[in-house]
Amino acid sequence: MSSIENFLKNAVTPWMGPKGEYSNIVMSTRVRLARNLKGFRFPLDFSREEAEEVEQKVAAALEGMEDFSHIPMESVPAIQRQALVEKHLISPQLADPERPGSVILSGDESVSIMVNEEDHIRIQVIYPGLHLMEAFDRANDIDNRLEEALPYAFDGDFGYITSCPTNTGTGLRASVMLHLPALSITSNMARIAQAVARLGMTVRGSYGEGSDALGNVYQVSNQMTLGKSERDILMDLRDLTERLIEQEERARRALREHSPMKLEDRVWRSYGILTNARVLATDEAANRLSDVRLGIDMGIIPDVDVSVLNELMIFMQPAFLQQYAGETLHPGERDVFRAKLIRERIGMGRQSGGAED
Amino acid sequence: MICDNCHERPASVVVTQSKNGKTEERHLCDVCAAHFQPFQGDFGGDPLGIQQFLQNWFAGPEAFQKTAQPQVSSGPECPNCGLTFRRFIERGKFGCAECYSAFRKELPEVFNKVQGGHTRHEGKVPASYSGRIAAERKIKDLRRQMKEAINQEEFERAAQLRDEVRELERSLEEGGGQDVVD
Repeated sequence: MSSIENFLKNAVTPWMGPKGEYSNIVMSTRVRLARNLKGFRFPLDFSREEAEEVEQKVAAALEGMEDFSHIPMESVPAIQRQALVEKHLISPQLADPERPGSVILSGDESVSIMVNEEDHIRIQVIYPGLHLMEAFDRANDIDNRLEEALPYAFDGDFGYITSCPTNTGTGLRASVMLHLPALSITSNMARIAQAVARLGMTVRGSYGEGSDALGNVYQVSNQMTLGKSERDILMDLRDLTERLIEQEERARRALREHSPMKLEDRVWRSYGILTNARVLATDEAANRLSDVRLGIDMGIIPDVDVSVLNELMIFMQPAFLQQYAGETLHPGERDVFRAKLIRERIGMGRQSGGAED
Repeated sequence: MICDNCHERPASVVVTQSKNGKTEERHLCDVCAAHFQPFQGDFGGDPLGIQQFLQNWFAGPEAFQKTAQPQVSSGPECPNCGLTFRRFIERGKFGCAECYSAFRKELPEVFNKVQGGHTRHEGKVPASYSGRIAAERKIKDLRRQMKEAINQEEFERAAQLRDEVRELERSLEEGGGQDVVD
């Protein structure tokens, strides 16, 4: 087995897969529920003793449930903690080595329960494609089982009590990760972000900072957690997501109609760079990957599996690159390894892409 | 090499950031690097920069400056964790579940700002909680019946009702509720 196959075997997680509704545009769906226990201060203020007690209670409540493994953060080396963040299984806050905390992961990594992050408990479910209801049902199921064993903090007026008032009520944050290259190329994203904000939801770059979305990957999520039921929050987000998909598809058709040669050139040019470059910085890699993904979706590039692109977006990040390399890398070396990883992975996807389906 | 951020711990991570075409390189220790996450736009954190948002909306920015008038009170204080309402506004996070009761009068205005005008929970209610509400209602009702019984000098019946109330209260204290009511 080559080094890249070995690395992928251990690193790929199901949400990066090609399955799921609208999987050409929707990369993944994430749902999280914030919960806290009565009788303990929140993690921002609690003592070591309180942290340990919360941790023990949650672990005990999950005992015997499915194939969960309980991973205390202090037992995880910094580089692997970072890799968990890059895989979206834990938050940067939980990875902070100065704070206590642990994560309880399901065997297939679709469920991660963060203990003692900002709230005592954060149940997170990630699925590939657009699956808001299914992801919520899974999280809700775990929530019900935890509730049987744990004294949840709940208020008749304000609902589930959370550390931050932006989560109070349902404690539900649902988000959908979308690849919107055509809307970005046609400079529509700023207008859309404004319209989305008026609906009480947010859209922002999933990677990178501010409005600058690395690789044209955006995340739409609900902003409000009070005053609406879980189902209504999810339905509204689903409606919005479907409208964004529709607009992206329309923009893609427009690109094909008005400038087919420019589009093809852009896609193949990027493909050429990804399969040949020897040095690739993050920004360039992200933008080229976005072009190639668009090319695959639109049938311009045959024989490459879309999930390859999902994976590469994750694996070209620093901690994964270093795991792949098996050593600490300086920035210059990192760009070389990034180019190597992308080259090899696309080559591999091309060989097996047609045969797999 | 020493960390560029805290200037204390040894640097173990190199972070390169490109902004407006300029590339900047920083050497950080793993503690500071954990706080620097260019790849994670947001993990469901504070979408609005809530501290600033609350301060500006709620009291006017001048209220919390060093030159603030002495009559600006710190508001109610949570008897459990000691967090004052003013401190809550400053940092945008509660200290514990009891803060919600301590700030109950002020909170609708806070939620009005950060939750787009919504101040009441409309979603899921834990099963144990709905059991508790039912038990509390039942206790109220039994007490009323007990008073009636006493007024009508039906002491045997009043004693029976009193025992029922006691049993319900005990089960509430133990954290249950629903099994007695159902």
